[in-house]
Amino acid sequence: MLSQIIKSSRATSLRTVGRTARLSTTSLANKSTYRTPNFDDVLRKDGASDRSRVYTYFMVGSLGLLSSAGAKSTVETFISSMSASADVLAMAKVEVELNAIPEGKNVVVKWQGKPVFIRHRTPHEIQEANAVEMSVLKDPQTDADRVQKPEWLIMLGICTHLGCVPIGESGDFGGWFCPCHGSHYDISGRIRKGPAPLNLEIPQYEFDGDKVIVG
Amino acid sequence: MSFSSIYKVFFRRNAVFVGTVFASAFVFQAYFDSSITKWWESHNKGKLWDDVRLKLENGGDGDDDE
Repeated sequence: MLSQIIKSSRATSLRTVGRTARLSTTSLANKSTYRTPNFDDVLRKDGASDRSRVYTYFMVGSLGLLSSAGAKSTVETFISSMSASADVLAMAKVEVELNAIPEGKNVVVKWQGKPVFIRHRTPHEIQEANAVEMSVLKDPQTDADRVQKPEWLIMLGICTHLGCVPIGESGDFGGWFCPCHGSHYDISGRIRKGPAPLNLEIPQYEFDGDKVIVG
Repeated sequence: MSFSSIYKVFFRRNAVFVGTVFASAFVFQAYFDSSITKWWESHNKGKLWDDVRLKLENGGDGDDDE
């Protein structure tokens, strides 16, 4: 009885030697002397259609998709927490109505804790600012480099020497005068005389109709 | 498209597989965000600022201004 079973199984395995070559792909398995059982009965009919492989890879890929989307939004949260919040951004700018400033007048506004000088210059003052020779300037800069519109001079009211606030419409050059150590600025805010090394700084600003937005 | 061709196109090369996963993560996130936002707004209808503002502009006179 037992020997019969062994005999029949051997016969089966001998019969399926040709088929095992189809099941296994490596040449090593083809050369193997182990008897391989016949799997034909349990093999799927559509085994070669890659269906289960596609299903498996799809599941793996979906998990990867979810985790990469999660990782991306985590990173985005951290990065966005580093940027300035809306209330800080709102405080970082100041709007000034230019209609209210008559020609030949100064206005001082506070921007980020610093004074900003806005002067509505007269045509005569613009001419005066343009007439200055570059050679006499300590920090050579043309007037056109310092203004967007010639009639509006907008600059930080902090002396470049030690940070005092200069006084408007005074000094030897018709512009600003710093009382702390006697720096004279001209009508374009350029240093002309005294210890300050640089011209008054120009902040970022843009015109929006009749308004100017500093910052 | 048979399963074999899906396999050949998307899963055969790992670079294509990973690239597809990352690219679809971007698309997925956009859709996910907008659909969650849409659901949230419909869930909280009547309590949102846009709804309240309309009510204030019609009914309340000026006490919330400045």
